[in-house]
Amino acid sequence: MTSLAQLFFDAVSLGGIYAMAALGIALIFGVMNLVNFAHGEYIAFCVFALIVPSTEAVAVMFLGKAPAFLLIPLLLMIGAGAAMLSEYVVFRHLRRATPVAMMISSFALGFVIQNALLATYGGRPKAISLWPELNTPVAILGAEVPLLQLIVILSTLLVVGALALLLKKTRLGLEMRAAAENFTMARLLGVRANVVITGAFALSGALAAAVALIMATQTGVADVRMGGQIMLVAFIATVIGGLGSLPGAVAAGFLIGAASILLQAFLPLEVRPFRDAFLYTLVIASLLLRPQGLFVPSSAKPRI
Amino acid sequence: MSKLGVFDLSVRYGKVPALNDVTLHLQEGERVFVSGPNGAGKSSLLGAISGAVATSHGRIEMDGDLLTGRAPEAIARLGLSMVPEGREIFGSLTVEENLRVGTGLRRDRGAVEGDIAEIYDAFPILGDRRHASAGALSGGQQQMLAIGRALMTNPKLMMVDEPSLGLAPKIVDQVYDTLVQLQEERGLTLLIVEQSSTRAARVGGRMILLRGGSVVGDGDASAFAEKDLLSEAYFGQSKLEVAQ
Repeated sequence: MTSLAQLFFDAVSLGGIYAMAALGIALIFGVMNLVNFAHGEYIAFCVFALIVPSTEAVAVMFLGKAPAFLLIPLLLMIGAGAAMLSEYVVFRHLRRATPVAMMISSFALGFVIQNALLATYGGRPKAISLWPELNTPVAILGAEVPLLQLIVILSTLLVVGALALLLKKTRLGLEMRAAAENFTMARLLGVRANVVITGAFALSGALAAAVALIMATQTGVADVRMGGQIMLVAFIATVIGGLGSLPGAVAAGFLIGAASILLQAFLPLEVRPFRDAFLYTLVIASLLLRPQGLFVPSSAKPRI
Repeated sequence: MSKLGVFDLSVRYGKVPALNDVTLHLQEGERVFVSGPNGAGKSSLLGAISGAVATSHGRIEMDGDLLTGRAPEAIARLGLSMVPEGREIFGSLTVEENLRVGTGLRRDRGAVEGDIAEIYDAFPILGDRRHASAGALSGGQQQMLAIGRALMTNPKLMMVDEPSLGLAPKIVDQVYDTLVQLQEERGLTLLIVEQSSTRAARVGGRMILLRGGSVVGDGDASAFAEKDLLSEAYFGQSKLEVAQ
């Protein structure tokens, strides 16, 4: 029997991963109306950056061997760099394109990254062991929780808090918030479009790297297709939260994580394999009831 | 050399022409009103000068620098600022954050705090509500915020699109009083879209009349108000030329 405390930790840690992935998507959508479907591939790319490029079945740690105080900032930079590069190579040329054209391009970019990973690392999932000691359980509030789960929860709070601080207190944050609300007006006041958009991609890529670190440690697997599932959930979270709303994306990420864990725990055994069908039914219901998103204030005007 | 020079400017949206070969000049420190019926091209003119609207022909210069082909943020950096139609306040930002958005382009970062205090002096209500969400301000207060925000870029030329739109006449008087005062203090050059020739005449300045995307009149605002040449422009008659 799983205790309530156990359920709580499961829900918050899974929700935290979804929230960070959703934030990565919402940040970019906010400033340029682009749903970047390559975001899941940034995550996979960052996971594979941990191991030596080879198509051998056995993964040899590469960056993953570095001590944490080096590995974490390095991987965040790699994620940010990959995202900024993709902006420079692909999306910068599509600034005047329709949102649909940009979205399709992001799919294409995702396939390019995925196939590059396939060619370099082979298609078979590889077992990797990053910080295995973090999976040792600790007793807290009467529940046995892997240490990693606590770290995930803490780092989610840290990441969300740092991002909120950055948006609230820095020049770039102010410009990003202004640009997210009215890009043309911000530019008329001298805000450089390139700086704001590159900044959004860098933050989004760093968030992808954070998710990659957590997933790699938690699952112990590097799989070329690992970005797809999380991307789907994160995208749904940004829609439910209200596209472009950062607090909405975080809240909806946690909500989906919680719903998923609760369904897993309380659905009758025979229907439990169909948990996702129930989860997505809830998603549809929420979109029918509040198509503008759950967390969008009623004062918000439609974006033009 | 004039402050702002517009030479043979044309703007079209697809195949629909909005401006045809417009030429006009503003002198340093001048106050110029642009008037004309809906669809005359007033907002297209301001959009083209600010870089927000693409031009199809002609060129625009400010202080001898070519503006055409530059991005809006680059034009803002040359010293042009805009108070757009409908004010376009950042409603999710606080009043003070709105004022700070446009300060990123300034080299004299040290002067920013003093300038913000000056804006609060000119518009005390903005100072009282500096930490409030700008979306909660009234229309008149938002207009003042939009003017204050444009001033915070420390512009040499400021364009104001229909400051009277949707405001009570008393508030409009207030807005114009402040604009005139600010202009005198700072030596600004002002380009203002204003529908009412009597209002423009009362404030004082030159007036340029647009119709169908062309300049059909240019002269002192009081002359337009007296002769009511505006109505001729609205209802369409021969090309008018007022004493230059």
